[in-house]
Amino acid sequence: MKNINKSILLVGTLSCFSTQAQVKPEWPSPVPEIITGQVFFDRLELTRTNARENRAVWDMQAWYGSDYHRAVFKSEGENTQNDGKPTDLERAELLYGYLVSPFWSFQVGAGVKGELSSESNLEEYAVFSFSGLAPYWFEMENSLRINKEGDIQFVGEAEYEWLLSQTSYLQPRIELVANITDSEKYDRESGFSDIRIGLRYRQEIAREFAPYIGVYWSESLGNKRDKLKRLGEDTSEKGIVIGARLWF
Amino acid sequence: MHDIAQGRRKFVLGALGVGAAAALSRIAPVWAAPQGRNFKDQVLTSDVIHLDIANARMPIGHKLGNAIAINGQMPGPLIRLREGQRANLHVSNQLNEDTSIHWHGILLPENMDGVPGVSFAGIKPGETFKYAFDVEQYGTYWYHSHSGVQEQRGHLGPLVIEPKDGDIGADREHTIVLSDWTFADPHDVLRKLKVAEGYYNYQKRTIFDTLDDVSEQGLAKTWKQREMWGDMRMSPRDIADVTGSTYTYLMNGRTPDDNWQALFSPGEKVRLRIINGSAMTFFDFRIPGLEMTVVAADGQPVKPVKIDEFRIGVAEVYDVIVEPKSAKPFTFFAESFDRSGFARGTLTPQLGMSAPIPARREMTERGMAAMGMGSMKMNDNSSGMNMSSDTQGSMQNMDKMSGSGHQSKASAHSHANAESGALPVENITIEHDDDHHGAGAAMIAKNPQSRLDEPGIGLEDAPRRVLVYTDLEGAHPWPDEREPSRQIELHLTGNMERYMWSFDGVKFNEVDGPVNFKFGERLRLVMVNDTMMDHPIHLHGMWMELENGNYPRPRKHTINLKPSEKVSLLITADAPGNWAFHCHLLYHMEAGMFRVVNVS
Repeated sequence: MKNINKSILLVGTLSCFSTQAQVKPEWPSPVPEIITGQVFFDRLELTRTNARENRAVWDMQAWYGSDYHRAVFKSEGENTQNDGKPTDLERAELLYGYLVSPFWSFQVGAGVKGELSSESNLEEYAVFSFSGLAPYWFEMENSLRINKEGDIQFVGEAEYEWLLSQTSYLQPRIELVANITDSEKYDRESGFSDIRIGLRYRQEIAREFAPYIGVYWSESLGNKRDKLKRLGEDTSEKGIVIGARLWF
Repeated sequence: MHDIAQGRRKFVLGALGVGAAAALSRIAPVWAAPQGRNFKDQVLTSDVIHLDIANARMPIGHKLGNAIAINGQMPGPLIRLREGQRANLHVSNQLNEDTSIHWHGILLPENMDGVPGVSFAGIKPGETFKYAFDVEQYGTYWYHSHSGVQEQRGHLGPLVIEPKDGDIGADREHTIVLSDWTFADPHDVLRKLKVAEGYYNYQKRTIFDTLDDVSEQGLAKTWKQREMWGDMRMSPRDIADVTGSTYTYLMNGRTPDDNWQALFSPGEKVRLRIINGSAMTFFDFRIPGLEMTVVAADGQPVKPVKIDEFRIGVAEVYDVIVEPKSAKPFTFFAESFDRSGFARGTLTPQLGMSAPIPARREMTERGMAAMGMGSMKMNDNSSGMNMSSDTQGSMQNMDKMSGSGHQSKASAHSHANAESGALPVENITIEHDDDHHGAGAAMIAKNPQSRLDEPGIGLEDAPRRVLVYTDLEGAHPWPDEREPSRQIELHLTGNMERYMWSFDGVKFNEVDGPVNFKFGERLRLVMVNDTMMDHPIHLHGMWMELENGNYPRPRKHTINLKPSEKVSLLITADAPGNWAFHCHLLYHMEAGMFRVVNVS
């Protein structure tokens, strides 16, 4: 019965294949597709590290498009005050995103990273990203970056939110960087490279604007850790942050 | 109701002078004068009715809002027609954008139905569209814009059709239009829903709710419950998408503080025509201290049902009779179903009186039935299923939330149906597409149930008689008594994360053609709600007879589906042409939950 019904529907659908969803092409669509966008700063913060450095950090995404197809721009970086070094751009990526399942979108695009100065060469790479909402409301983003030399790097981020009240949140956050291959040019060795864990307490003034305070701890791992130790540099950093999450 | 002697209908002029009525009219439509029906001058009844649509700055509460007024009023004027007449309605557009009026629940030719893109091109700025159709029905209906999100700005009004004999079945009548008002631009509301899931919900679960659950029912059960909801990435507190955080709830255009007043004389039989003209809000309507007798649903007469409270979905209409005996005021209390606000008015023997306003109730959470696990709830007492510990836990939680007993009552009722002739829909096995309706559908109802005998979320444990769909029985049989020759199944689907709403996982802009009805056929429409929200589904141009186990079946123009509910409706495809079919939650429709039905 069910199959018969389906075939009736199918025949019905095919028979009017030429007609558009709306009745007459010169009429407006009763329900036009919604195209919109958003600029979202997940983190816009000042950091005070245990090495007494002051650092400004940003982590933002912007998108524009429909439910399924979106252009996405992601940017993340930091600038340490008075260290004589230029701003460190952790990423600037332009991607095309497609919604592959209710909670996940697959994104592909190109990006650059490196120090923002006239002398330095920015690292250019292709990026594939799988981002969305995992079960139990973990907001996740997993990216694979492949540069011109064929070096592959994985960057994964996960965030969670505990509601303390209707306008205050406790947000743990974890970020993991791993090199799938060695990179001679950019001085990276394969294996896990860095992990950073943070916890932020956020108070919403409006849904669009929420100041926060928080702490983080980051640790170098594996070969990178060994190398930093050989050079006598810190392999670990802690800090406090103050900032705001905002969107428009 | 028709048999009531003409002599009983007294057109008593109210106690109030015209001057006082005019003073009130500055903040609300003049048809909503306290005297009700008898205040004939404020009602449009002429041979040709002119409706001018224009932007207007209207006072709502203590602020000015950007409303769309019809003949200077918001909501628009009460249009009063008579069965058998020819309606001539000339709608002039003084906006700077296209507009339209759809006559909700009226059977008419397709080109008069007023849906831009389906029935006509819309009304351009500066143009006048002349609607003309024969009025072949009577009852309480309404009209509203079908262009974009204009309805949210108050582009709506009541439409009352008297029966041929003019008998309203009461001594006096009042029309009550419930609506939700926001001072925000409705386009902005839609965008916020699209980009920021849960933007308007200020009743989400916090970690303290979880801690309370742990202390009340133990860690294991709490863990199981959180696990189930977390696994689905759904919230049991996702009741209304747009809430009192932005909405002011209006009764006849007046805020609760304005207190719209309706006059009565003790001993009178008063007919209340209650229309939910909201964009997004379901209301629970009651009049503490007064019993209500439901006499019509969606304009169509039903056998009288005595109740104390009813839920009215968006676009639904109920007519009730009340007979206040004593000369004291009564509160009309229409609480939004997520409990984030209310609309209010007073039924009073004289102006200036008011009765206590009931306290708002606590929001309740959705239970297992919302997840489409209803049948497990029925089985878990007897069978040793793997899930039984889970379901037991959740069931107890539901009982905790809903007082107790109602769920078991509901299951008992279902059992009773199974033994004494089940509803047709209960014997229909629901199948989902192999891909579970794709990325547009965040869930499927694993085991959808008939929930017509449930009053809905938050009313399960109401200590009073609450109307349920199984209470409704048509006042008389309808002309077409054929068995359906065909069945069409549609699934209500959605993805809250991106605020995508659809049928069968495809939004309107993704479908390649209409749903086809054959002219003259009798068909059964089976709908399955594969979402966690309630959806009021509206079919234009034809009645839907609800298969709720009663005969005659009640006729509906708008049928509300609870989460994971399946319903079946009988339709006679007697209206050739193209008709809109959609969820009447305005932003769900705008987000894609819309189809065209073609009858040919």
